[in-house]
Amino acid sequence: MMEWAKESLEKLEASRLTRLNQPAPRPDESDAILKQYHPDYLGHERTLEVGPNAGEEKFPLELAQLLEGDSPLEPDYVPKVEIETDVLIIGGGGAGATAALTLEGSGLSVHLATKLRLGDSNTVMAEGGIQSALADDDSPRRHFADALVGGHGDNDPDLLRILCEQGPESIRWLSQIGCLFDQNEDGRFRLRGGGGTSVPRVLACRDYTGLEIMRVLKDAVRLTGTHILEEHVAMELVDDGKGRVTGAILFDRNAGKTVCVSARAVIMATGGSGQIRLHGFPTSNHVGATGDGLVLAYRQGCRLIHLDSYQYHPSGACYPEALAGQLVTEAIRSIGAQVVNAQGVHFIDEMAYRDVLAGAIIKETAEGRGVKTPHGKVGVWLDTPMIDLKKGAGTLAHQFPGLIHRFERYNIDPAKKPILIYPTLHYQNGGIRVDAECKTDIAGLWACGEVTGGLHGKNRLMGNSLLDITVFGRRSAESVLSNIPERGAVTLNNLNRFRAERGKIESATVSPQFFPSASGMKLQPVAEEEKQETDSASSDFEPPNPFNF
Amino acid sequence: MTEKTVEIKISGKTIQAKAGETIVHALWAADMAESVKTGCAGGVCGACTVTLRYSDGRTGGTELACMKPVEAGMEIFPCPVAEDAPVLPVPNPELSTLQSAFPTLNRCTKCDSCTTACPMSIPVMDSVLRMQKGEFSAVAEDFTTCIHCGLCRFVCEDKVKPHNMGLWVRRSLGMSRDFPIVKTTAEQEAEQEWQYLLVEDREVRLQRARQFRSSGRIEP
Repeated sequence: MMEWAKESLEKLEASRLTRLNQPAPRPDESDAILKQYHPDYLGHERTLEVGPNAGEEKFPLELAQLLEGDSPLEPDYVPKVEIETDVLIIGGGGAGATAALTLEGSGLSVHLATKLRLGDSNTVMAEGGIQSALADDDSPRRHFADALVGGHGDNDPDLLRILCEQGPESIRWLSQIGCLFDQNEDGRFRLRGGGGTSVPRVLACRDYTGLEIMRVLKDAVRLTGTHILEEHVAMELVDDGKGRVTGAILFDRNAGKTVCVSARAVIMATGGSGQIRLHGFPTSNHVGATGDGLVLAYRQGCRLIHLDSYQYHPSGACYPEALAGQLVTEAIRSIGAQVVNAQGVHFIDEMAYRDVLAGAIIKETAEGRGVKTPHGKVGVWLDTPMIDLKKGAGTLAHQFPGLIHRFERYNIDPAKKPILIYPTLHYQNGGIRVDAECKTDIAGLWACGEVTGGLHGKNRLMGNSLLDITVFGRRSAESVLSNIPERGAVTLNNLNRFRAERGKIESATVSPQFFPSASGMKLQPVAEEEKQETDSASSDFEPPNPFNF
Repeated sequence: MTEKTVEIKISGKTIQAKAGETIVHALWAADMAESVKTGCAGGVCGACTVTLRYSDGRTGGTELACMKPVEAGMEIFPCPVAEDAPVLPVPNPELSTLQSAFPTLNRCTKCDSCTTACPMSIPVMDSVLRMQKGEFSAVAEDFTTCIHCGLCRFVCEDKVKPHNMGLWVRRSLGMSRDFPIVKTTAEQEAEQEWQYLLVEDREVRLQRARQFRSSGRIEP
């Protein structure tokens, strides 16, 4: 297997026993590596010409174009309310589902709209774990200190304090709704280290932590009175004519038409934007991660922060080609897999902060010490067989069934052979600015989860995003309960103001993007007469019996 | 290296695809993304269920389109599985509660279709037999990697609902667990530490955080 890398594999194997007991090389010039090699620092960015952030901080070019884009709504579109609800949650990932659960029993009607299906999200793809200060020598203050240093001091301290203080309680809540986190033999949760944690603090369910949390949340939400609108894309927000957000225009992908929703409160939980593929990077994100919430909120007048900062996860798969960009969890590095270059040299401590490690890997490949795949990609080795050497035979297979499962169909056994990795676009560090009550700058609009900015500063630690969606998903709902306004009028006033302002821009971009460009997917309106035809035609198709092979 | 092109069929329509890419990416390139539902494109959301046939006589079956690389002559049929209504989990579950929650539990005729259909290699039928015996810890372990694509339920002629039962068992066991006691620092001490860390000046704050994380306390 991997015959094309035979020479490099031999070097890696030859150095393995020597490397085993040698201390990890410390990154000595962290800032230099970042400034020279991290994609955030390469100047691929510009300021905006319209909206609340105009003329101030810079945004990645691809995102800037979307933020300045025009709405997909026709100029003569007139909103006519079809659904009335108290709370509209936009987004069906972990943050949105948590908010929906928290609103259950409040007496408020709740609609949750997602452009895919409930649970199709970055949450479900999270592997390594969730942080919470549960160890004897740990505390929420220590968690805070680790995250602040990791975020280069740019974290909003008030948001970060809430995150860390709510950690243990959030784990209790997740456990109560039925999440099974891995335990040690003594019945206490198994805690692992993560990049930048000063003590073990990461709980996990094998390497399927996000899947475990999301499937439980999804099941729990389906058992509530929440009205779930699947395959409903949020196209635009609406306002009361005086600036307050009062609902949204959705696009029902199955019916091929818009649906106007009037809501007393809107919670934006649309997640991240890895699928806009900054700098052409591969991504570990799900299909829907196109930053829609940023675009919609920006048009309403919300300020965005820290969006010059994205997280490139150091270990994205680089080979086989079909897995390119997919996540190889940091937890694998935390229990012993070393990062090794083409010459078999362990070139950096794999538990360095994510941005530093990503920069170091890019540097290694840029300077010719990477391994080239038959598809022309270049990466470095993640020496996974080291784990069983350090922790005993079978450890890798038991703790990381997801990794084994994904690679075995390509006849690669990560317990025997290393994996080739290269950084992958993983997390949107910045986002919509919110206060400690998850309120955005615009009344009527709350936000939680990856779509928000400030909490993680300019580099998020492993395990803080699953905690983020739990803590702030709940908090946004609680804040809505305490502050819900009366129902307001439904107009496109805010949008029209934005459109007037962007008149000076020549760009023909229509945004949000909704789907990855490579997919060719788009909103497809169906005219009424056309719809009847398709309805009668579709009944002819008989799916084959899967067992009649 | 030049990339080889192979011919595949999706719902009867022939398209060209790059050898080695996944079915989902082949459909994207052919502008047919909408023909198979896609959620994560990473093998964990369960949206992109399909059935496959091969032209060389090999046995086909069920797959996730986002994980399966294309091969020459492969025929692909979308196989979306509708959600099934969930059943409320209960703390301290017993066999009788599982049976009344899922009345079809004992209808399993041991045909093993569910195991064959599972894209995650879960021993589904064996686990259903374990459910019938009330071996819940083992069942929870079996379903650790379940992505809820629903294929096991979809192919079951006896209306058994393995993945719904697997999740019910897992959630029920989860909510029965004692939560390990959380140690709390004295409130006064904690507040002092917060005051120390939340100092107004950004640089001082960062410096104090650097110090604090090394020992977990304020160093004199």
